[in-house]
Parts: sequence; C-alpha cells; structure tokens
Amino acid sequence: MKMWFRKQPPEQQENNLVALINMYKQSGDFVHFHHPQSPQPYWVSYFGTLIDVEILHRDILPFLNKTAFTSLDGVKAALPFEDVLITSDLQKIQDDILQGSVLIQLDVKDATCLLVRAEMKKAREVTIPEEEYSVVGPKEAFVESITTNLNLVRKRLPISELKVKEFTIGTLSKTKVAVLYIDGITNEENVNTVCQRLSDLQFNQILDSSIIAQLIADNGHSLFPQLIDTERPDRVAGVLAEGSVVILAEGSSHALIGPISAMELFNAFEDYYVNWQTATALRLIRIFAVSFSILVTPIYVAVLTYHYQLIPKDLMVTLVSSRRNIPLPPILEAIILELTIELLREAGARLPSKVGQTIGIVGGIVIGTAAVDAGLTSNVLLIIIALAALASFTTPVYRMGNTIRLLRFPFLLLADLWGLLGIAVAFIFLIIHLLNLTSLGRPYLEPIYPPRLKDFKDSFIRFPFSFQSKRPGYLQTKDQIRFSKKKASEVHDIDE
Amino acid sequence: MKSVIKDQFLVSPFLVLFLIHGMQYGVGVLSFQRDIAKVAGHDAWISILITGILVHIIIWMMYSMLNKTKGDLITIHQQTFGKWIGNLLSLLFILYVLAESTTVLRSYIEIVQVWMFPLLKTWPFALVLLLSVYYVVSSGFRIVTGVCFLAVVLPSYLIFTYVVPIEFSTFRNLLPVFDHSILEMAQSIKGSILSFSGFEYLLFYYPFIKQPESSQKWAHFGNLVTTLLYLLIMIVTLAFFDQAYLQKVIWPTLMMWKIIELPFVERFEIIGVTSWAVVMLPIICLMFWSASRGIKEIFKLKQRSVLVFLLLLSFIVCCLLIDRETIQQYNTFVAEIGFYLLLGYIPFLFICCHIRFKMREKG
Repeated sequence: MKMWFRKQPPEQQENNLVALINMYKQSGDFVHFHHPQSPQPYWVSYFGTLIDVEILHRDILPFLNKTAFTSLDGVKAALPFEDVLITSDLQKIQDDILQGSVLIQLDVKDATCLLVRAEMKKAREVTIPEEEYSVVGPKEAFVESITTNLNLVRKRLPISELKVKEFTIGTLSKTKVAVLYIDGITNEENVNTVCQRLSDLQFNQILDSSIIAQLIADNGHSLFPQLIDTERPDRVAGVLAEGSVVILAEGSSHALIGPISAMELFNAFEDYYVNWQTATALRLIRIFAVSFSILVTPIYVAVLTYHYQLIPKDLMVTLVSSRRNIPLPPILEAIILELTIELLREAGARLPSKVGQTIGIVGGIVIGTAAVDAGLTSNVLLIIIALAALASFTTPVYRMGNTIRLLRFPFLLLADLWGLLGIAVAFIFLIIHLLNLTSLGRPYLEPIYPPRLKDFKDSFIRFPFSFQSKRPGYLQTKDQIRFSKKKASEVHDIDE
Repeated sequence: MKSVIKDQFLVSPFLVLFLIHGMQYGVGVLSFQRDIAKVAGHDAWISILITGILVHIIIWMMYSMLNKTKGDLITIHQQTFGKWIGNLLSLLFILYVLAESTTVLRSYIEIVQVWMFPLLKTWPFALVLLLSVYYVVSSGFRIVTGVCFLAVVLPSYLIFTYVVPIEFSTFRNLLPVFDHSILEMAQSIKGSILSFSGFEYLLFYYPFIKQPESSQKWAHFGNLVTTLLYLLIMIVTLAFFDQAYLQKVIWPTLMMWKIIELPFVERFEIIGVTSWAVVMLPIICLMFWSASRGIKEIFKLKQRSVLVFLLLLSFIVCCLLIDRETIQQYNTFVAEIGFYLLLGYIPFLFICCHIRFKMREKG
C-alpha cells in the first residue's frame, strides 16, 4: 500500500550532452550546426534569441575557421574572451546556455565542451527618475539591467570597500540579485540578515525587487513598507555611505534599502540638495500632511456625529449651513466621497497618461461640483477630502502613499463608532503596531523609540551637514564617524 | 534559580524615568485634588510635597532591596520568607495588582461614560482596550516600555492646559499657609499617596533594566517630575476653585479644562478625556505585564496563557461593576489596600529583607 505513494525511481535518463542538445532542439530558437569545411570540423550550439549574434559572427566564428585545432584548449587560447570555460558538468552547461553562452564542440559526441559567453545585453537607456523626480540634483534613474545599475552605483562610490554579493533566486526566473554594502562601515549583522533571508527564499519567480521586499520583510502582514525602494542611484550611494544595505535585482529598476526607520519615509533625497532650513520645513510639512491626511476625515465624522459641542459657534454656523440639505449621516457622506476619490485615483493610474489627465479633470470638477449641487455631500467635506487626498501624495516614498490611503478607513469606521475616542483607539493600535515593527531586525520607530536624541539630527529635521558628522545610530554601523567634526567646525576669529 | 534575561529584552536605564512617571500619572490625576483637599483644605499642596518625599524614600528602599537580591519581588519574597510563605505573599501582591488594573480600566470607562458617551456600554470598550493591552504585553517588555514612553511624550501638550486656568484664579485662596494640624496633614497623605502609586511596579521590572543599579537616579527623577506636575495641578486647582465648591466636584481637572477656549475648539475636556486613553494605556499594560510575569515566575507557566486568563478575569470584573456606587466602593476598597501596601508593607519588607541578609551574613 505504502509503496503506491512512493515516487517511482526516475527512469535512467541519457544524462549526456547529446540528450541535452536533443532536448533543446525541441525549441524553435535553438541553433545547432556543423561546420565541415573549416580546417577542423566543429559543432556550434546556442539559443539564437539569447546571444548577441554579432559577437558570434565577429569574434567567434572567424577564429574557429582560420586554423586547425586539435583540442578545446587550443580553441580557448585562440578566442579573444576572458571567460571561456571548458567543462563536462551538465548542470553548468545547461545553466550557461540558458544565460546566453555559445557551446562549441569538436565532435558532436564529445562529453566535454567549450562555453563562451555571448549574451545579448539589451537595456533601456538611463533616463530621468519619474517617481522620485527632483528639480535639483542628478537626474539619472535605475534601469532594468543589473549591470547598468551596478555601474551607476559604482561610479558614485569608486572605492574597493564597496562589496557586491550575488545570489540567484527563483526556481523559474533564476533572477540575479546583488547585495551591496560598504565593508568597514556597514554592520555585518545587517548584511548577514539580508543574505540569510535571501538564501532562504523559496519562490519561483522574482520579477521585480518589490517581490523580494515583500518576501523578506520582517512582518509580511504589515501595511508599512519595511524596506524603501528607490530608483535614484544617488540615494543608493548616499545610504550606502551611511551604512545601509542595498539590494538590486536583475530586471528591476528599483533598488531596495534597509534597514530603515519610519522617519526615512518622509525624506526625499532632494532634501540633501537644498539648504537645511528648506529641507527641515519641507519634512515638517510632509509629516503634517500625512497626519492630516489620515486624521482629518475621521475627525470630521467624529465631530459631526458626536461632538458638535467641540466646535465654536461661528464655525458651527458654516458647517451647519453646508450640511443643512444633506440627507446622509456624516459617515456615509465621507465614505462616498472617499470612494469617489479612490476611484478617480485608480482609474487615473490604470489609464494611459493623456486619458488619465482628462479623467482627473472630469472627476475632480464635474463629479465634485455635481455631488455638492445634488445635495449628496457638503462642500466642506469635499474640500477636506480633496485636501486629504492631495496630502497623501506628499510622501516621497510611493508605497507610503498607498499605506496612508488604506489606513484612513479603519480610522473612519472607528470614528463613526466611538467618535474621538474611536480615533484614539485606532491611534493606539497604530502606535503599538509601529512599536512592534522592525526593519531587518532594527526598531522601526527609531529615533522616537528607542529614544536616541542624536538621531534627531536627520529625522523630522535636517540639520546642516556640519552637524552630521556621525552616521545614524539605528544602522549600528561599524564606523560611526563620517568626518572629523573638529576640523569641520573650526571657527576662525575675525579677520584671520 | 534566577532566570537570566537576554540582553535584547532589556531597556536603557533612563527609560525608568518614563516607567515611573508614566505609571504614576494616570486616571487619578483627573480626580485626586478633592480627596486631599477634603482633609487638608487649601494646604493640600503641602501634602503633595510631603508625599513626594515619602515616595522618594520608598523608591530608595525598593532599590536597596533589589540591588541586594538582583531579582524581582518574587525572589525578594522567597529569599526573605522562604519559598512557601514568600510565594503566597507574592501571589497576594499580584492579586492587588490585578484589582488595581481593573480599577484603572473601569474608572476610565466611567469617566468616558460620564463626560462623553452616557450610553456607551462597558463591555465593548473594555474588550477593545484589553485587546490592545494583549497586543502590547504579548510583544514583550520593550514594547510595554515603548508604550509607556510614548504615552508620556505624546500627551505632554496637556501641561499647557493646566496653566490656562491661572488666568481665572485667585491665589489668595492658598492663604493662610500651614493652617492645618499635623494630624490633618498626615491624614491627607493617605489620599495623596494613591495618586503617586505606580512606582511599586519597579519591583517587577527591575531585572529588565540594563545596569539596574544606575537607573536609581532616573527613578527618583521620574518621581520628581510627578511631584512637580501634581504640585502645579494642585496649586492651580486650589486657586481656581472655591474650597466649598471643590468638595462637590468629582473630577476637578476635567472641570478646569472646561474653561479652555481655542479659536477652533470649545469644550476642551472632550479632547482631554480622549487623550487620557493614551495616558492610561501603559498603566494597564504594565500592570498586566507585572501580574502575568509574576505568576509565570511563581508557577512556571507560559506567560501568554496566563495573560489571556488575567485579561478575561479583569474583563468579567469590569463588566460586573455597573453603577457609580459599586465602582466607588470597589475603588475605595482597592485604595485602602494600596495605602497599607505602599506605606506599610514595603517598609516592612525592607526591614525584614535587611534583617534576613544580616542574619545570613552572620550565620
């Protein structure tokens, strides 16, 4: 009985090169041909769609046709390539052919063969960042090729301490993933955490770095991003120098940064390119915008449902007159409008950009005015919701915008249930959740908790660079000192 | 015998400031003025000062015991009274902690029912609050401390609201100073020590502090902050209310908030009560953490299941306390025990503990 469930032993496959080539031949784009006329006859096999045919014709075939070789070693010596491999390891041969190598045999029945890398490297041109556009600062963004991306980073950090560890992840996609860090600065514990989690990954397809971000997150059920993804190479270089770990994936135009603290979700990298007063003001505005965006509609609902005594008389008049003809309770009114905004946003995101703009205008002006005219919503709430939607776009990290979008709804429902108290309860749960979160094992809410006064220099506020002589504490870097503060802050006397 | 707590679960010594102050500063702040002023009249602020000093002494006593035994209340009890009597005493202490946590929870819900939602049912709100407590306590002591810290920092804006009523106060109310007999002052301490209670949980979380000996100054500092804050509130209350009227007000702090008016907010007490949800959360959390930790130590049970059981127990008791009368009786009863525990039992334990250590050194 038991033996029925046991796997049948695999049939003795013809585990040799001939069988492999025969298997590949079943694909239409596999090329396998023989050159009998050349001084020494040889066989060439490759996937025509994976290799750069120009390399084959310009750099490989002419050399093979010129002279007579007696062995593969002779071929290896003659070919002008640095990574020519002679092997009989079937697994290696299989992987390499699928990654764009050309297989050369002197005889079709040989078990040993020669592999030459001739992969086709097609990548988009490096363009302007679109998600994290900034007026000042460099305007290069990552592309889908990991080689180009690594080049963009290395160019900015031409030091030997910048280390790259490579992984291949995904049983189907075989995605090349690189972990970047600076030796001597980055805490090795962080690097090990990342490497450990990457090598433990069990997933078949890694199509983008965002999938990795979800798979290796400390808490996979949290709404909050625990790794920041960025398309700016300058940001990557910046955080590497601070002591973070960066993950790049083939086929992804976004790098992942970790560990992060929640405060970094409010930092645009542009903050470092403008003066510190402006940067600080902008950060405070963003933090205000986020709290405003989450809280303002729930407060409206709570106050108008339960606590109208809270509002001073004069303001009350405005509110009452705007709500006089509305047949719906505040919560329904708010949910209808919130849903409208979400619909507009989602439609705008799904449509081609030109049509999307039109939808935005149609939705914003026509639906909004019509809803107020029809007496479905009050114009005060319309203003509030539009502002809240606008405010949620101020976060520099795109993912955080989505988080805010969703966070609002539990707050709204609790506000309808228990008024301001409901908001307080929702807030309590939010805080506990944030306290619990970690990013690569480092506390998420730092520098607020655990409180580290020193890290406030670059959190809510950005102090001038002369104050930033130490790296952020939450990264637990090996080398804390960025530059000597003593020299930087030397004060010269008058007229000296 | 002693379980060593891993380094990653420990908290910095200076956080003891927030643990002490956050635990003291709770629901009592909204109502403590009346009980003290009942006996001490307009000299109630002196009573606060004296109690503050007394609490400093008790904190010193606790540190002197804890530093000796390097453990918590349970190890102190075991080393002083032996295993069986020691554990029994610890259990009684934990029972008091549980009773107190229910008092805090029920008193807060009562305030909400009186000031915000007269029709609010006790059980759903208690359930949600206890759920949040479970979330915090099950995440461990570091998170409990975090909640404590944030609950001190976030609502700190409320300190401005204690200053506003000064505009409408007459400080002549405070005169003449020292108008009460020493006996009356001593009696008033009974009322004020309860608003200071909360520091005794140090006996439970002491082993979770990094270099616990160095945290003593922060504990004293925390108590100092509480004393000063109470002093401020007390003086403003005495100056703001007429003595006869103060006797009729159950929650003087909330009454004072009524006077605050901002361009966009009237009836500030509603915001005050709402903020208090954040203020009292860590108190309940740390109480349940201490109780479940203590039971875990005594009976070697899983803390998580103990916690669930305790929360259920508290939930049931909370729902059974229906009207103002019962709550008041229950509160008075717990307060009575608390008074003897803080001013009687802890000094007694201090003496016993030291005698025991002296005997052991000789023998």
